[in-house]
Amino acid sequence: MRRTRDSLGLFVLLLVALAFALGGCGGDGDEGSSDEGFTLYMIPKNVGNPVFDLTNKGMQAAASELGDTTEFNGSTEADAQQQVQVINNAVGQEPDALIVSANDPDAILPALQEAMDKDITVVTFDSDANPDGRSVFASTPQAKAVGDTQIEMCGSQINYTGEVAILSAAATATNQNAWIAVMKDTLKDPKYSKMKLVTTVYGNDDPTKSTEEAQGLLQAYPNLKCIIAPTTVGIAAAARVVTQQKACNKVIVTGLGLPSEMRDYVKSGCVKKNALWNFEDLGYLAAYAAHEVAAGDIEGKEGETFKAGRLGEVTVDASGAVYLPKLLIFTPENIDQYKF
Amino acid sequence: MTASAIAVARRVVARWEFVLVLLILAAGTWSTTQSRFFLDTENLLDLMKPYVFIGLMALGLALVVIAGEIDISITSTLAVSAVAFADFWDRGLNIWLSCLLGLVVGMGLGAVNGVLIGLLDLPSLAVTLGTLAAYRGLAFVILGGGGAITGFPSDFTRLGLRDLGSTIVPIGLALFLAATAVFAFVLHGTLFGRYVYAIGSNREAARFSGIPVDRVRVTIFAISGLMAAAAGLLYASYFATARADAANVALLDVVAAVVLGGVNIFGGSGTIVGVFLAVVLIAVLRNGMGLANISGEVQSIVIGSLLLGAILVGNLMRAARDRHTGQGFLMRIHERRLQRGKHNRPPRTRPGLGIRPTKGAR
Amino acid sequence: MTAARLSLQTVATAAFRLRELGIAIALLVAIAIFAVQAESFMTVGNWRNISVSVAVVLAVAVGQTMVVLTRNIDLSVGSIVGLSAFISADTLSTHHGLPIAGVAAIAVAVGIACGLFNGLLVTVGRVPAIIATLGTLYIFRGLVHEVSGGTQVLAFELPASFKAFALREVLGIPALAVIAIAVAVLGAAMLRWTHWGRDFYAIGSNPEAARLAGIPVARRVLLAFTISGGLAGLGGFMFAARFAGVSASSGSGFEFDVISAVVIGGVNVFGGVGTVLGAALGALLIAVIENGFTLLKINEFWKTAFQGFAIVTAVTVDALVTRRIQEALRQRRRREARDAARAEASA
Repeated sequence: MRRTRDSLGLFVLLLVALAFALGGCGGDGDEGSSDEGFTLYMIPKNVGNPVFDLTNKGMQAAASELGDTTEFNGSTEADAQQQVQVINNAVGQEPDALIVSANDPDAILPALQEAMDKDITVVTFDSDANPDGRSVFASTPQAKAVGDTQIEMCGSQINYTGEVAILSAAATATNQNAWIAVMKDTLKDPKYSKMKLVTTVYGNDDPTKSTEEAQGLLQAYPNLKCIIAPTTVGIAAAARVVTQQKACNKVIVTGLGLPSEMRDYVKSGCVKKNALWNFEDLGYLAAYAAHEVAAGDIEGKEGETFKAGRLGEVTVDASGAVYLPKLLIFTPENIDQYKF
Repeated sequence: MTASAIAVARRVVARWEFVLVLLILAAGTWSTTQSRFFLDTENLLDLMKPYVFIGLMALGLALVVIAGEIDISITSTLAVSAVAFADFWDRGLNIWLSCLLGLVVGMGLGAVNGVLIGLLDLPSLAVTLGTLAAYRGLAFVILGGGGAITGFPSDFTRLGLRDLGSTIVPIGLALFLAATAVFAFVLHGTLFGRYVYAIGSNREAARFSGIPVDRVRVTIFAISGLMAAAAGLLYASYFATARADAANVALLDVVAAVVLGGVNIFGGSGTIVGVFLAVVLIAVLRNGMGLANISGEVQSIVIGSLLLGAILVGNLMRAARDRHTGQGFLMRIHERRLQRGKHNRPPRTRPGLGIRPTKGAR
Repeated sequence: MTAARLSLQTVATAAFRLRELGIAIALLVAIAIFAVQAESFMTVGNWRNISVSVAVVLAVAVGQTMVVLTRNIDLSVGSIVGLSAFISADTLSTHHGLPIAGVAAIAVAVGIACGLFNGLLVTVGRVPAIIATLGTLYIFRGLVHEVSGGTQVLAFELPASFKAFALREVLGIPALAVIAIAVAVLGAAMLRWTHWGRDFYAIGSNPEAARLAGIPVARRVLLAFTISGGLAGLGGFMFAARFAGVSASSGSGFEFDVISAVVIGGVNVFGGVGTVLGAALGALLIAVIENGFTLLKINEFWKTAFQGFAIVTAVTVDALVTRRIQEALRQRRRREARDAARAEASA
């Protein structure tokens, strides 16, 4: 019996050693310490989301201008708990700067603070973390503009009257909640007084869940006039459901969508208007901000300015944020101009 | 005879734990190649922090499995306890009183499992599969949806994040060590512990020898629930958030820790030290794989394979031992060859592969 | 002795007929309540929705029924659905010319491979089914992530013919529902009329007796797991068609819908008792309640809680009923023996 266990152990050990030997071969050899450039480590909300592939591309463009190297890694689901693990692991690799899009501002705060304790620059982009855990936030256009634009896109198509529902991403996503708050506020404007927000549902940026939620909206609210989806995954799912159920004339779909994904729906007339910014520019801006902070040129205080390559000079505002200037609105006429 | 048997058994157990230590060292060595930070004393202590909640649940589950049952509802019990605690606090209750109530909730949910399994004699797999879903739903109901409760005072969040006093030992790790000591004492040093082993080895025999089987089984599940609740509090503290979907993918790690720790999945044997080491092993492995940018789901392939591999190898060895009174399966293959007339020499037996010569089989 | 065992089976079968009747009544009550409460419930469009959402669960539940009948369980079906859905949809997104039957064949093949692996672990490796399939639940899910590299297959990458497939109807019934009904009818027929189908019942009732009676237990259990895997693969194809998009987390948690359908439908977790019809009724009950909750704007998480309580209740009721039957039979047998002894003594 003893020998059985003994040999069992040896066997397991052998297996593990083999696994490690194989794993070791796959591991890449680039060690963190770089003398000339910084290592920028981008952690999106989740990987596999096309918009973050674009921000990665933007970061790489900026890095090649600045002489920095980049890493890109994230959890497969837009989930704060998984993101904390990714951040901890990234910190273990000693990058010079983390560029993070937060799934939950508070849940990832301790992990970000630990990174800052180890002298790693932390910059957030797209979705902010608690300001105590970062120096600069590279933001999408101002929340007010994003929220207002979506309400207006919706209202103008339904004669400013009827039931409206929001299909969001994760219930804890900072940027989503900021926009939703703006939208609720904007709806109090007398101009929109006949529009009624009936519910907000969460598709977690997962195509399946978003599809089910969109179907649920059509079932539960037979008088629904408009679905606003401030997320690219959500708007694509909603557009598909509405097309499938042949309800394009009854229910308007609008929100934030990628031109490449929305092209068919926009051209078929089912989604007449949707908006977005250039996500590549967002990654580019975030990389420049991270580089500036890592180099010690700025700290994220109000009024500081830096030159963000092709985007020109940007100024840090009171909340430590820098903004992308432009919100693009896509219509059947102009959508072919946009290639992302 | 019995004394010597126990001595032998003890040594065997020590062997398995020795193997676990070797595995931890191997995993650690590999992790060192992934990050210069890894060997830092502080990092070595810190890397346990995200896995303390796994460890606490594994201790409770070990008790259940040794008693010959299974409890797969623990991750949901964790979620309900964490959410209930946060809800009490959110309604204005004192944070420590809320903690206590959270623990009571977890123990209560465990006791419900215990009553269904221990008193009504239902199969633990089916019952806890049902409560796994029911409790998860309950967590969402308490929270009123998919949101989260955050903003706990730093007195509470330091439990999962900060170090004990001025030492470099994280509080969570200290709690886990303390819980391990208590469990080791209860299981290996008390009458209750002996009852647990007896029930796991042969429940009917245990009943006939006068052990209060029903009461012990209900208690075991209540303890399992309590440990899941404690894990839930640490979870909420570590992530500074209480969410209804907390720990919904942690079940694999907990079960793997118990099985890798040497607890017999059919009940009756296992040690707490083994479970503790297995938790450390999983923590080191996941930490190292994380440093190598291997995603959590792909890490699960490795942990899942280790779980299945541990059982498979164990079964294979047991089968080799049982067949042919001590002769291994190699001997059997040899016999088949003999029948085909290809060889007529018995295979050389090597002690290291668990094959012993026929003479003096004991 | 033989007579007693036969009568046990007869009584048990009768009891579980009643069980199916019970589920059918519960289903009718639920339908009646929702029909009164929600005006859009009894519309054709809504029932089309229900039939599509029940279809995927039902197809997979037929395989799960076979596994549970042999006193095993397959927790990995959700991950198999995800893996087969991803691989088949991903292949289609790069080979637009692939016929729909080819997509389905890829999905089923992936499922069969997974099921075979589960079956071998349980039969040859002697790993308890619950642990084996818990492990493969995570392993297969990890494989989805590994294969996908975190990417998604999005609707616009798939050819229009595939997207149209889920909308196609046969005699007013959605294509996916037709597939599920065909699978269910075929599965029920197999269980009733093939000898290996009947072996599943024998193995679940008493594995030792089945072995002694010469049934190749390991081979049959392997078959059950393989069928379950294959049908989960088919479920993956249906999933991909229904949502026209697959992510790495597609189908996670799906095993709960399947297992609760099977258990609520009266397939006994101790093995040996249950029918495909019961599982189908269970699946329909869950889908109707989910749909009704949506229409009544009751939050979806109540559904999870309901499913859990329903599982616990079903297990409790089944166990208590079985025990009652066994007790009654034992008493009757004792009485018969006593009568016989008395008759002998008087003679």
